[in-house]
Amino acid sequence: MWFTNRDPNLDRHFFLLAVVLYGISTIYSVFLWRKGFRQDNWFNYFLLLGAFALHTTAMALRGFDLKHCPVNNLYEATTFIAWGIVAAYLAFGLWSRLRFLGAFASPVLLGMGIFALMPELDKHGETPQFTGGGTSLHASLALLAYGAFGLAAVAGLMFLSQEHNLKFHKLRAMLSLFPPIQKLEVIAGRLVLTGFILLTVSLAVGGHIAHEENKPLFNDPKVPWALLLWAIYLALLVSRWRFAQSGRRFAIGVIAVFTFLVLTFWGTTLLSPLHHQ
Amino acid sequence: MIVVLGLSHHSSPVELRERFAFAEARIPAVLQLMREEGLVDEAVILSTCNRVEIYASTSLDSTKAFAELKEFLVTCHDYRDPLTDELYTLNEPQSIHHLFKVACGLDSMVLGETEILGQLKKAYDIALQHRHTGPRLNKAFQRAFNVAKHVRTETSIQRGSISVGSVAVELAEKIFSSLDGRHVMVIGAGDTSEKTARALMSRGAKSIVVANRSIERAQALAAEFGGRAVNFDDWSGEFGNVDIVISSTAAPHHILNRTKLEPLMKLRKNRPLLLVDIAVPRDIDPEVNLMPNVYLYNIDDLQAIAEDYLKQRKEEIARCEAIIVDKAKPLLGHGNGPGAMGGVVPAPCSVIRGSGSNGSA
Repeated sequence: MWFTNRDPNLDRHFFLLAVVLYGISTIYSVFLWRKGFRQDNWFNYFLLLGAFALHTTAMALRGFDLKHCPVNNLYEATTFIAWGIVAAYLAFGLWSRLRFLGAFASPVLLGMGIFALMPELDKHGETPQFTGGGTSLHASLALLAYGAFGLAAVAGLMFLSQEHNLKFHKLRAMLSLFPPIQKLEVIAGRLVLTGFILLTVSLAVGGHIAHEENKPLFNDPKVPWALLLWAIYLALLVSRWRFAQSGRRFAIGVIAVFTFLVLTFWGTTLLSPLHHQ
Repeated sequence: MIVVLGLSHHSSPVELRERFAFAEARIPAVLQLMREEGLVDEAVILSTCNRVEIYASTSLDSTKAFAELKEFLVTCHDYRDPLTDELYTLNEPQSIHHLFKVACGLDSMVLGETEILGQLKKAYDIALQHRHTGPRLNKAFQRAFNVAKHVRTETSIQRGSISVGSVAVELAEKIFSSLDGRHVMVIGAGDTSEKTARALMSRGAKSIVVANRSIERAQALAAEFGGRAVNFDDWSGEFGNVDIVISSTAAPHHILNRTKLEPLMKLRKNRPLLLVDIAVPRDIDPEVNLMPNVYLYNIDDLQAIAEDYLKQRKEEIARCEAIIVDKAKPLLGHGNGPGAMGGVVPAPCSVIRGSGSNGSA
């Protein structure tokens, strides 16, 4: 009864609360940063866990309303990416040395959350009305891939911070509980690989759906954008494993590509006829 | 009443400490004798390179107890020279506080070190096994071990490394996923480089290559660690495999610079490389630190880190002491807790000779 008579914006309220917690986590992360990440800290982890619970609730409410995976407009897509990032962090954060990833993830999550809450992004009608499991699978795999790329960028930020401290002989490098930089590089590499595999499957599914429905693929700006993204991540992976690219360059590459992804994702989605039918 | 009588690195030189040291095998008999002579009811003897201390529970008046214990100690070691401030005596509550400080490494030469806790546990075990401890010392020592654990987890007193060798190990652990399987190269087999290599090998480094102008010295050091010796002129040929380089040659100029290292890094497929330059004048051009995946630390960098750690440990002393005073209260009968030792009235520290200085730092 409650569920059917509830406020139609209740899911957004839950998401707003999650964003508030991401904000508190960001402020607390500044405090952790000033303290040098010296002592194991569960508080930020639990803050993000609380935010994750609210975030999941928001997505679940929207999903129940739509009766399918909530990946129909930019609000839903952005919240899905952020959800992927925080879910992956909560898994990694169980390991004490990676718990401080949260301090680097929370500003990213806050930024994405504020962006997603812009009312213009959560429009229905013009937004795609996906039908069939294949389309949902395509969208959710792509967004999970972006989540993995996002967390890889967060690990890259952590790498650059620690690498800078080690290079310049800062005591902070010794006192912080960050994992070894080689480990951070491996984590970022594996997250990019995971994201790349998810993106590949997502693009294959999307291409198959378009082919089945006889929709023109290459007139749509989203398609070359997605292929460009796929090619850039492939180049990053190949340069890392085949040409032994340095950890610093790899980290910068991962952060730069994810920044490109975040900045162009909404524009290409809005311009895409395939995603607005 | 628990009392402490002893001498440590704070109060006496090593020549005196070694005169008063007890061989481990002799301790049970000494404890037995102390009890048979009625000096103490319970006792533990702690004898390390930095201290010789008797922790005792006695029903004697403290002045008399200290005089007799001192006489016993002097006689036991057949020591006939005059003593001034070398021996210190502590009564409750200082004796309990001192025991806790020793357990926490606050009274150690290397502030916050943990080896002393193991030595204290061993000293207690010897006394316990030979039934020279009772309810008072059992409670005091058990609590001391708990306090040491509490202080270790709640403060930063044992945080960080304060020697060049251990700082190098810690640095390596910040760069490499694991030290297991890492290859170490020592260029110039000096004393500090040997200690650093030893620290790295003890933490799991896989192999060591030693390059030295004297090949005999290189072979001797390599043999000690089960490694290989190479001619000094051939060290760069090994660079493809090594992860950590410790350099301490007597060369008057840089033996490694950016021009030389760049092609070597390509051989290493850009794996991270930790360069520890402990030579003066320096062996490695500081400019190599600008290269990707190269981390260069010289002797001043390592010492600065060690000093910063020590400074941080010193800043923690006040916190540790507050914890110690708090944790000692139940033992001293402040309150009615289960650990109270029968409402013992704290008495001032008594002195045998001289000032009876407290051994704590």
